[in-house]
Amino acid sequence: MNVNAIRFSRRKLLCGSVATGVTAGTGAALAPRPGKAEEDDSRRPRIIDTNVSLFQWPFRRLPLDNADSLVAKLRSLGIDQAWASSFEGLLHRDIASVNRRLAEACRSRLELVPIGCINLELPDWESDLHRCFGEHGMPGVRLHPNYHGYKLDDPRFVRLIELATKAGRFVQLATVLEDTRTQHPLVRVADVDLTPLPRIISQVDGARVQLLNHRPSAATLKIFAKTDGLYFDTSRVESTDGVPQLVAQLSSGRVLYGSHAPLLIPEAALIRVNEAGLLDDAALRGLLGENAEALMQANRS
Amino acid sequence: MKPSTLRLGLPAKDRLRSYRIWDSYFTPSFASPGSDGSSKLIADIERSLPAIETGCIEKLCYFAHVGLGTTNDAQYEKLVRTRPDVVLKPLQRWPNLLLGMIQLNASDVAASLDALNRWLRDGPMLGVYFASGSPGALPCTHPNMRPLVQRIIELKGVIMQHTWFKTGGKDGPNESTPAELAELAANYPQHKFICAHAGGEWQRGIRAIRDSSNVLIETSGFDATAGFIEMAVRELGPERILFGSHLPSRSLGTELGKVVGAEISEHDKRLILGENYRQLLRPMLKS
Repeated sequence: MNVNAIRFSRRKLLCGSVATGVTAGTGAALAPRPGKAEEDDSRRPRIIDTNVSLFQWPFRRLPLDNADSLVAKLRSLGIDQAWASSFEGLLHRDIASVNRRLAEACRSRLELVPIGCINLELPDWESDLHRCFGEHGMPGVRLHPNYHGYKLDDPRFVRLIELATKAGRFVQLATVLEDTRTQHPLVRVADVDLTPLPRIISQVDGARVQLLNHRPSAATLKIFAKTDGLYFDTSRVESTDGVPQLVAQLSSGRVLYGSHAPLLIPEAALIRVNEAGLLDDAALRGLLGENAEALMQANRS
Repeated sequence: MKPSTLRLGLPAKDRLRSYRIWDSYFTPSFASPGSDGSSKLIADIERSLPAIETGCIEKLCYFAHVGLGTTNDAQYEKLVRTRPDVVLKPLQRWPNLLLGMIQLNASDVAASLDALNRWLRDGPMLGVYFASGSPGALPCTHPNMRPLVQRIIELKGVIMQHTWFKTGGKDGPNESTPAELAELAANYPQHKFICAHAGGEWQRGIRAIRDSSNVLIETSGFDATAGFIEMAVRELGPERILFGSHLPSRSLGTELGKVVGAEISEHDKRLILGENYRQLLRPMLKS
């Protein structure tokens, strides 16, 4: 693990957060890409998990729901950096304290990059967004429209995309957290209806939205493929060749490694990336880390 | 270091080989092998081969349609009745890799009993898979199951039943739950039954079969939800758990990851990944 690079990224992240607010923070250097000298074939690929969560899943204890255990597991798997949000954000209403705990938990664990949670159903959600970007220096925020109870054609969703884009930050949208067939009977949550999303992204110049835990159908993928600014993770992409097929159907740089740990076993997503041996080294380097670095890098502009 | 040379998420090859992995749930072209008898099935097996090699899987068991109306492919059903030899093509092509079981049609008891004689008593198949969603499927508590189960037991065959506990209830009347399999298995305490997918919602599934010592669970068919194997080992013991890959429609990552990523002993992983299934198949492999 390139510890120095991670420490550098963290310091830059924190410096950027202190120095800039949400309106002025668009120039913050959040995660520099490695220099050319580091980019030779002998270098171990940098692996960035764009989809992990801290704290407790509301419905049962998980083997890795302790942040130290999760980080130790990620290290053992060669993960250099993980973008972490909070399971508390699903049902808690004091989102400001949820995001504060998340930021604190990540501050002492250099591999973790905090991704705040925003609930658009709460009054004054804009304040939470400002705190995420300004106070905590978060490079993006994560949304759970199905757990929070709004649709994507809600004007507040469009407003959030506009604000995040204006601040130079990305948005993660978790389309599903748990298979509807296995959910608690009193908390049944349908997958997010993504129909309005391509139109909204096309309306907001420079918007960057990453879908998490999404398992696209062939029909929706044709539409999504034409939507620049829409990114995907690998956490629930199924079939033995599902990941390379997804990569093949999208323009370069739009599939990012994500595990949905600790709800899902982190080994699962990692094995899946290359189990069929269909991706070349350049595609693997991109998927495992460089695409995430590029998404983060775009926060500068 | 080239990314393609990394063992991303996987144990070292030597360790994987030491597990001697036998897959109890291989589902190439599950709905139908193709109207010509085998082309889709063969293509899906070939599609799975890289993952099989990556995972160092020694053997895989698939579920053949043998002309009992268990597919919606009328052309295939007609073909296999006149040319039953097409069923054997995968076993002939990969004799050291594949094991086979047959799918029965519980709605047609007479034809299913004939098929048991042909494919288990006289043929190479090792047991029976009862689906939940295929044509002819019935819930495993249906009276039609009794004569079929009795005959399979006489032939020392393996019995695997598809099961799910779905939030909101069954998708259709012919699905089976782990609780229903436990009810069926209680009538035959000397024979072992496999609860495919552990009910999907495994927290309920494991509880439903916990006191049925002759029921084992199979691990595939749902997301790689953390804690599953740990709970199963704790509540059932490692001897009652069988690995399934569900390849190629699900990934090696999802299914093998459940076991290699679980916080259990190496001894328990060896049992789950191969030894338990070999033990279960032993009577059939001897005969």
